[in-house]
Amino acid sequence: MRNVKRFLSLILTVAMTLGMVACGAAETASTDSAASTDSAKEAAAESSTPGSYDQVTYAYCTFNNIPTEEDLDVVEEAINEITREKIGAEITLMPIQIFEYSSKINLALQGGEKIDIFESLGDFGSYVSSDMCYDITDLIDTYAPGAKETVGDSWLDACKSNGVLYGIPTMKPIALTPMLIYRQDIADELGIDISKVNSIEDVTEVLEAVKAGKPDMIPLAAVQTGEIGLSTNYGEVDFLNDDRYKPIGVLVGDDLTVTDLYGTDHFRDLCKLVRGWYNNGLVMQDAATTNSAAAETMSSGNYFGYLAAYSYPEEDTAASLEAQVAGYDLGAKIIGDAYLSTSDINAITFMVASTTDVPEAALKFLDLTYTDEDIINLLIYGIEGRDYVKNADGSVSYPEGQDAATVPYTAQLSCGTLGNFFKMYQMGVANDASLEWELEQNKSAKTSPAMGFTFDSSNVKTQYTAVLNVISQYLPGLICGSLDPDTEIDKFIQALNDAGYQDILNEKQTQLDAWKAGK
Amino acid sequence: MEKTLVKSRKKRFSNLSLALIALPGVLYLIINNYIPMFGVFLAFKKYSLKKGIFGSDWAGFDNFKFLFKTKDAFIMTRNTVLYNVAFIIIGTIVAIAVAVMMCELGDKKRVKGFQALLLLPNLLSWVVIGFIVYAFLNADSGYLNNTVLRTLGINPVSWYATTGPWPAILIIVFLWKNMGYQSIVYMASISGIDKSIYEAAAIDGASKMKQIFKITLPLLKPTVITLVLMSIGRIFYSDFGLFYQVPQNSGALFNVTQTIDTYVYRGLMELNDVGMSAAAGLYQSFVGFVLVLIANFTVRKIDPDNALF
Amino acid sequence: MTESKAFNRVSTVILTVLVVLAMLPIVLIVVASFTAETTLIRDGYRFMPKELSLDAYYYMLKQGKIILRSYGVSFLVTFGGTAVSVLLTTMLAYPMARKAFKYRNLLAFFVFFTMLFNGGIVPSYIMWTRFFHIKDTIWALMIPNYLVSAFNVILVKNYFQNSIPDSLIEAAQLDGASEFQIFVKVMLPLAVPTVATISLFTGIAYWNDWTNGLYYVNNEKFYSIQQLLMKIMSNIQALRSNSNASLLGTGAVDLPSTSVRMAMAVIGILPIVIIYPFVQKYLVKGVIVGAVKG
Repeated sequence: MRNVKRFLSLILTVAMTLGMVACGAAETASTDSAASTDSAKEAAAESSTPGSYDQVTYAYCTFNNIPTEEDLDVVEEAINEITREKIGAEITLMPIQIFEYSSKINLALQGGEKIDIFESLGDFGSYVSSDMCYDITDLIDTYAPGAKETVGDSWLDACKSNGVLYGIPTMKPIALTPMLIYRQDIADELGIDISKVNSIEDVTEVLEAVKAGKPDMIPLAAVQTGEIGLSTNYGEVDFLNDDRYKPIGVLVGDDLTVTDLYGTDHFRDLCKLVRGWYNNGLVMQDAATTNSAAAETMSSGNYFGYLAAYSYPEEDTAASLEAQVAGYDLGAKIIGDAYLSTSDINAITFMVASTTDVPEAALKFLDLTYTDEDIINLLIYGIEGRDYVKNADGSVSYPEGQDAATVPYTAQLSCGTLGNFFKMYQMGVANDASLEWELEQNKSAKTSPAMGFTFDSSNVKTQYTAVLNVISQYLPGLICGSLDPDTEIDKFIQALNDAGYQDILNEKQTQLDAWKAGK
Repeated sequence: MEKTLVKSRKKRFSNLSLALIALPGVLYLIINNYIPMFGVFLAFKKYSLKKGIFGSDWAGFDNFKFLFKTKDAFIMTRNTVLYNVAFIIIGTIVAIAVAVMMCELGDKKRVKGFQALLLLPNLLSWVVIGFIVYAFLNADSGYLNNTVLRTLGINPVSWYATTGPWPAILIIVFLWKNMGYQSIVYMASISGIDKSIYEAAAIDGASKMKQIFKITLPLLKPTVITLVLMSIGRIFYSDFGLFYQVPQNSGALFNVTQTIDTYVYRGLMELNDVGMSAAAGLYQSFVGFVLVLIANFTVRKIDPDNALF
Repeated sequence: MTESKAFNRVSTVILTVLVVLAMLPIVLIVVASFTAETTLIRDGYRFMPKELSLDAYYYMLKQGKIILRSYGVSFLVTFGGTAVSVLLTTMLAYPMARKAFKYRNLLAFFVFFTMLFNGGIVPSYIMWTRFFHIKDTIWALMIPNYLVSAFNVILVKNYFQNSIPDSLIEAAQLDGASEFQIFVKVMLPLAVPTVATISLFTGIAYWNDWTNGLYYVNNEKFYSIQQLLMKIMSNIQALRSNSNASLLGTGAVDLPSTSVRMAMAVIGILPIVIIYPFVQKYLVKGVIVGAVKG
């Protein structure tokens, strides 16, 4: 045993020394780049000598196949032809699959790899708190003025934390309008007048009519696991940076007091409404745990409709969803108003990595993705002729006999996640009137009074984990109707308080007040 | 004198060759396992990407707090340990039983078929297994509710909202996935037993059952002890897939399905906190380590040959 | 000898029941993979579905050569990795099993310790990508994590120690064999059952692994079959999940989801199911060979 102890300490020492050496090298790499941000300004100036361009690595998420090196190179070269001229930089494209995007970005940055631009996928706050984003407050005016103008100051506020600007949100239809998506053919058959449906309470009548007329159908399907659409119908609620499916401390309406959503009468009433649906067989029984998303369940033909929120006009939404539901005839009815809060806007934010050595060049390229039609279309669609063809009406489609899986390069499905949506060619459904409607929605949707406030959760991390677990336990059941609100809501609130819920609310209030005072 | 000198030189040479034979494996373990262990420090730091692993600020035990603070913490720990104990006991008994039965039946095609088929469930991923269980248990169209209970005239049960049957369900699923796999280890050991012992016992008139209990089982003791000791070391770990996918992440079941690993996952998914996940890992490792030391020490006292180290 | 026959009969019955129970869910999966998507959603999973369809498999075939290539990758990694792993593992276990070895307890502790403590993915990632440069190479799938598993080492050590009599080793030593020769000529031939066991375990581990690919491989050329299946599945889920509706443009895609998941499960285990019978004979071989005189 004595031998064991001696050996153990020897091993640990060796491991630690080797580890220190390893990390020392990693350290110098990242401290070098951090320290060189000042000297980068001089470097950027001097690298405009011909033949030496700034190298910018642009990591974006894709829902399509990742192209081969060769095919990607062609697209890169086409982009570089433009960027060398316009901004004196060369771009390396790094498409990453959506399902591994966040892990790969995290690992790559932590491992010291060169990534200059990346996007947040709903986790803006955590990227900021782990110091992964570069401070672009002072740089944006000089290097990305086009983007700044397109997106607008109030949206940019959503990407600030403590007054520091960390990223640029994507420019796309963001305002989510709650809608009822339903089977048009069944509604016509049963003579249901959908135009009377203007709120979530009105939906009850429709569901009952369907149940009466078609007893074998289940009227309402779940949108996704644990969600039948209630969370998009809370009304004017700002989730203050939390996941909309797990809110902790919210703002209701124009009031800047951080409120417990679950204690409000509004919430209780909504739960009772859904509970009624559940008891009367109007809603899918296993909504809280189902594996199938709405599109799947609707394809089975067994369900009438579901509640969700989309950012496109009614006809477009219905039309685009039809393909997903095995061709059934769908209709969409708006039942509420869109409400913009900070987390809606910064859901997809493009950021410059804190470890970058070319922040100016990175910003300049980012600017191009908002302002330059050629660049954005190269990114999304690839090379004209090889990866797509232009049609007479200005829209694009895949070349004859090809589709998304066979063309050498396409990121078409990322079209809502990169740069400026409104500058892209449209594939298929959308038309100009829709684009206008969407832009209008973006501008006119009601915005939360806390727009621009981001919450830093580091002081209440412990409470967060406990509270999140409590929420996972109760919330899906409550908002899908499988738990009885009369007994369970109180238990829920009690459990939340036990887990430190109030601490989080207090912390949010403190930060919110400070932010308000600083405005 | 000469003889002892030669002997000790031979011994040293023998030791050296043995050390050399072990060397490649040792090197790999150092590189793959020991060097990265310095990451354990992250459990005590507030990680910042810019400052890197060594530059980030120290956080003392802050990162560990979330593991203890609430009632949930007690529940998750209790669940983890109890399930593991159940798995160790029941799993071992079933695996040995299966292994004994298969070995006794001999080298027939049928036995080979059994073994191959029993192994299949182990090859499936937990996501798929979660779907299968869902296919049986879901309230709307599940096999159990729709077909079995309906023909029996019993009302459908909302399985994913009732906690009662779940410990049994999870143990059954665990056995289903693992009994084929675990029994292989025992089969390998049994096949290493000298057949002549059985022949001698048979000649002496011992029945099959007696042979199993007096010969096979005692000779399996070292394997069982080794496997149990290793399981004790991992007693604070749980198979994430089993406790997250199979109950379909249903909140209503948390009281009986929440383990340390699922709790950490659920809590940290939003926060993306490197320090806290490192702390959770360290907590699990450390407890397992202490328990194994104790267990190993005890085994050493009773049966020194079979201690792990 | 009737007791023996009775025992055999009972055993057969019990085993048959267990096997049938074990196989039922798998049969269900296979049937589900051939079931029409709409039937699956409407009626749930059934052993006798109303409507069969090959849609799920057509969808997979459309992915075409990607699937073939990733099968290839998986095979290469599994066989190559398992071979090297078995070698390293047995070499590590042998000294641990030799009672005469001065450092055997030390080694045992050294090996076992790795089962308990783990530095997390970040340090491993940094080390493998920055110092060994294995990112986006086939080595990234073979080397991290699976090449030597403490569990396997201990299993083999156990077998060496308990199932191979010391007398054989002593006999070889008297014949003047070196340790290495003893290892190769005495231990390995007699350890066939355990070598087969760890080959199987390691093979399964490699075949099912997708985390190595997730962390270290971005180039689809090197995707293993599991990583490919994960990708297809997650993309389908991402596109279907409405929380992503706000992320996407009007890119409508037609995806048969549930039956595809089942088809994927079938594709994922098919090769092992085919190969396993060949491996199996070595596992039970020991029953015949294991007899040792004296």
